[in-house]
Amino acid sequence: METQEAVFRILRFNPEKDEKPQYTVFHVSIDEQMTVLDALEKIKHEQDPTLTFRRSCRSGICGSCTMKINGLAKLACKTRASLEVAKHEEVLVEPMENMPTIRDLVVDMGEFWNEINRGKPWLMPDETVTSDITRENLLITAQQQVSSKLADCIMCGACFADCISRVFDKNFTGPASLAKVYRFVADPRDKGGDERISPLVGMGLWSCTHCYMCWSQCPRDVRPVAAISELRTQSVAKGDSSQGARHVKVFMDSIYKTGALNEAALYLETLRLGVLKDLDLIVRLGLKGKAPSFFKKAIPQIDEVRLIYRLAGEGKR
Amino acid sequence: MKYAYYPGCVAKSTASELYDSTAFVTNKLGIELVELTAASCCGAGVQNEDNSFLCAVLNARTFAMAESMGLDILTICSTCQGVMRQIKKQLKDDSPLFSRVNETLAKVGQKYEGKVKIKHLLWALLEDYGLEKLEAAVVKPLKGLKVAPFYGCYILRPSEALEFDDHEKPTSLESLIAALGGETAHYDGETKCCGFPILFVQRTKAFQMTARYLTNSKQAGADLVVTPCPLCHLSLDTYQIKAEKHMESKINIPVLHLSQLVALALGAKPEALGFSKHMVPMEKALHKLKP
Repeated sequence: METQEAVFRILRFNPEKDEKPQYTVFHVSIDEQMTVLDALEKIKHEQDPTLTFRRSCRSGICGSCTMKINGLAKLACKTRASLEVAKHEEVLVEPMENMPTIRDLVVDMGEFWNEINRGKPWLMPDETVTSDITRENLLITAQQQVSSKLADCIMCGACFADCISRVFDKNFTGPASLAKVYRFVADPRDKGGDERISPLVGMGLWSCTHCYMCWSQCPRDVRPVAAISELRTQSVAKGDSSQGARHVKVFMDSIYKTGALNEAALYLETLRLGVLKDLDLIVRLGLKGKAPSFFKKAIPQIDEVRLIYRLAGEGKR
Repeated sequence: MKYAYYPGCVAKSTASELYDSTAFVTNKLGIELVELTAASCCGAGVQNEDNSFLCAVLNARTFAMAESMGLDILTICSTCQGVMRQIKKQLKDDSPLFSRVNETLAKVGQKYEGKVKIKHLLWALLEDYGLEKLEAAVVKPLKGLKVAPFYGCYILRPSEALEFDDHEKPTSLESLIAALGGETAHYDGETKCCGFPILFVQRTKAFQMTARYLTNSKQAGADLVVTPCPLCHLSLDTYQIKAEKHMESKINIPVLHLSQLVALALGAKPEALGFSKHMVPMEKALHKLKP
């Protein structure tokens, strides 16, 4: 097997002597198959026994070895070092974002666990489920597939670490927490209902930008962003009147009326008095001829769009 | 080359400069566009949060219209492209959904077969037109200009639905900038979110995102930023003057739509590209262009 000398640039921090984190470069001989975790073990055994990182199963199951590898949160045991070198010329290893560093690549995941707990990650069973313990409560396959996929989460923290909304908004509970909420909402044996849905707006349901970073970085393909969309649907159906829900409603109305997005309506009806903060901008946009018109002509064949609305269950409109 | 053209709502409204500069580019390169004027909005990843089935049917209707013309779809909006490609993948992977969608479409006389391809202009230029041919068509190379690529989200993620570029280390914009004679300025934030999707909900947070990445691009020595997404453009240009209030100093970096940058290199007069509609003036960057 071919081997090569690879550069590992690792962000180190020892709270006992370092004022701030700094990079140390290690040269490691790697083969094609070695994972980043293998290489870190090699550095620890052969070059610097003080290099600190978490690891346990080495098989992508336990979720312990998440770290930032060339800028993205990944499991070190599932990431081939040679592929990273091929793409980035080196392997840059840093601790996960959105969590404070304890030492080297080890972070304090307390905030992550607090957020998971905010979503009440346990089954709230219906009485019909608990009343007869001699009977199994089987799900039909289609239902089982949804909650099973969400239950695949190994709590590695990768989605939380790479969540851009969480960087700027500490009230946003994060992708893993919301995926866990949906795992129970989608489970017909759970009767949490309103108790699960109504706190979501306060947990930042509408703060997700759907940037799909959580979908990309999840090592178990849980797709938290898709779960967040499902939760938003449920929140809207339960009468959510927050700005986020209004934004969705205006979209729905706008496409029904004209087939297209009415940017002016979207802006005014979502923000309402909030538009006053933009008066200066609105004036400048107007002068530049960039302000969108409130009056829109419907697309040709708008009747087809409206019929599809009715056929898709939007009959009340 | 001929496509069913889906410009998207924003290019037909606030970002008309994108629509106009795309017309210049495609005329110049001999790319024929037949606009899907009866197509509806893609839903922008928002409509599906109320009714995902409705959103799938409306998009499948757009696909069906392109299929009946025997053409693939060309978009100039990353968001439209991302939404449409995701729905196409969903319909491919979920055959009961595919059937339900077609049952509904049949009632408006449409049928989606699953054949149509959906491409962003960036992709069409790289893969269908070809960078060598594009380079040969350049009459005003962007010499002396340092361009910061802002990919944003929807042209890269989720990669299994988009099948374009490497979402971990994309190179498509850099190759395009090089073909146009410019130089790429790399910075932290090229593939992050511009903040637009939460602009109406979490205004301050959205501005902080915008400001951070624009500041990074400027610190990397960029003269301008280029983006394939008109929604990113709204955040990065239109709201830049608001976003920079969250920083210590003014940002003041012009942001171009992809089509404007290509049109410039293909010899379009800057006056014809709608820079006057931008919030951040382009003059300084234009002066840097070597004659």
